[in-house]
Amino acid sequence: MAEHFFRHEYGRLVATLSRRVGLRHLEAVEDAAQSALVAALESWTQGSVPENPSAWLFHVAHNHVVGELRQQTHRDRLVERNGLGATDATEDGPAAFLAGDVQDDLLRMLFVCCDASIPVESQLVLALKTLCGFDVREIAERLFITEANVYKRLGRARSRLRELPFQDALAGEQVSARLNAVRSVLYLLFTEGYLSSHAEAAIRQELCDEAKRLAVVLAEHPLGGTPETFALVALMHLHNARMAARQDASGGLLLLEEQDRSRWDAREIQLGLSWLAKSAQGDAFSRYHAEAGIAAEHCLAPSFKETRWERIVDCYALLERLSPSMLHTLNRAVAVAEWRGPAEGLAVLSGVEPPSWLAGSYLWAAVLADLHRRCGNEQVAQRYRESALQSAPSAAVKEVLKRRLRAP
Amino acid sequence: MPKYLCLQRNLPGGDKGADKPSPAQMQAMYAKFNEWREKFKANLTDMGGRLGAGRLITAQPAPDGPLVEVKELVGGYMIVSAATVEEAARVARECPGLVRPGSGVEVIEIHAP
Repeated sequence: MAEHFFRHEYGRLVATLSRRVGLRHLEAVEDAAQSALVAALESWTQGSVPENPSAWLFHVAHNHVVGELRQQTHRDRLVERNGLGATDATEDGPAAFLAGDVQDDLLRMLFVCCDASIPVESQLVLALKTLCGFDVREIAERLFITEANVYKRLGRARSRLRELPFQDALAGEQVSARLNAVRSVLYLLFTEGYLSSHAEAAIRQELCDEAKRLAVVLAEHPLGGTPETFALVALMHLHNARMAARQDASGGLLLLEEQDRSRWDAREIQLGLSWLAKSAQGDAFSRYHAEAGIAAEHCLAPSFKETRWERIVDCYALLERLSPSMLHTLNRAVAVAEWRGPAEGLAVLSGVEPPSWLAGSYLWAAVLADLHRRCGNEQVAQRYRESALQSAPSAAVKEVLKRRLRAP
Repeated sequence: MPKYLCLQRNLPGGDKGADKPSPAQMQAMYAKFNEWREKFKANLTDMGGRLGAGRLITAQPAPDGPLVEVKELVGGYMIVSAATVEEAARVARECPGLVRPGSGVEVIEIHAP
């Protein structure tokens, strides 16, 4: 049985069934998907697994939701209007449950999750619940929020969904209008996994894998496969390639220059580079192109010293223009420091007034501590060092900062 | 080899683990169950199944009372072959999800004729 089969089947069932009965009934659909998996667990452990487990699950879930809706609407109006009837489990799977259509359904559900009327933090939770098959407890654990908060976000998303008109298919122009929102949510999902300094490695990897899986669904679909999407997929593969090497055996974080580059995943690098090559078409150069370019430079560098820092500096400069954020300026300063020395790096930041969220973060303080230390400004460095250690979000980050920022 | 009837009994005191398992947890349960089935495949003579509603047939019209209790208490059965009752008990004990708070297994020897 494929890894994450149950979770992914859950996502497929929800996507396919909610298309058939309408999003207003999302809760009934989710119940049906859950019941079908419970039934599978019982039936497949007592007897044997059916030849086509996905079709088996679809029949069970479909019958369940139809039965439930019949009960809900005694007059059967909805059931009649949509021409639904119970399917016979002995028949072949209905035509709608073919692989190609399932990809359509998944994509459609992804666009639904990213509907502009749903707040972004609810979009993310809704996607994790419906498409990735995580339950409320698992989502809370992955996003470092309380279960009550997850329920609240889900509730908000569901009440918006109930107001959406019944749509069977996605129209072309709708897709292009929402593509950006969809990419942002996938990017957010990926960074939740990749940048989190709290969760254990397995959980982080899972979030990154889910983001990648859905991004590939988007990229392989004629409506979603644009150069920007390709760049997003490239970026995910290239970051993912270095994932395992970012931690030592005891779970401590490793700096880029301390990482064993032979532990980088060559296959992921290959995949990332081929998506990156595919993304180099058309005239759109997006933030994902810039970020994938940076990740590719790191992956291609034989060593920290031999990194083509000038190219990374260029990419950060482009990124600052495409998606202005002081965080990108900070990153550029780090790259400039490696390329032309710490004084030049500091020069990038001189006169820059960081916004309060950045000024108060360990990242800002740590970079300044490091650059000042390397320039020999011991006192200033010491001050930043203390504030970096104070605002470090986890013990692992504190450890790595201590190592990097220790006085000479 | 002697055979044993294993009856899954819901114990009084309730089903504490009433939380719905998540898909990921279900997959983990499925994997564990298959490991168990593989490990004891020589012992598992009949995987049995869940038991539904029953009917008591007696010489006289019987009160429905006691049967209701039996119906609620026995969840399922299977038949295990083992050299001793201890061995049969071990097979049942290691079955994932069978022995847990609120549920236990009764192992009964089936006398060969």
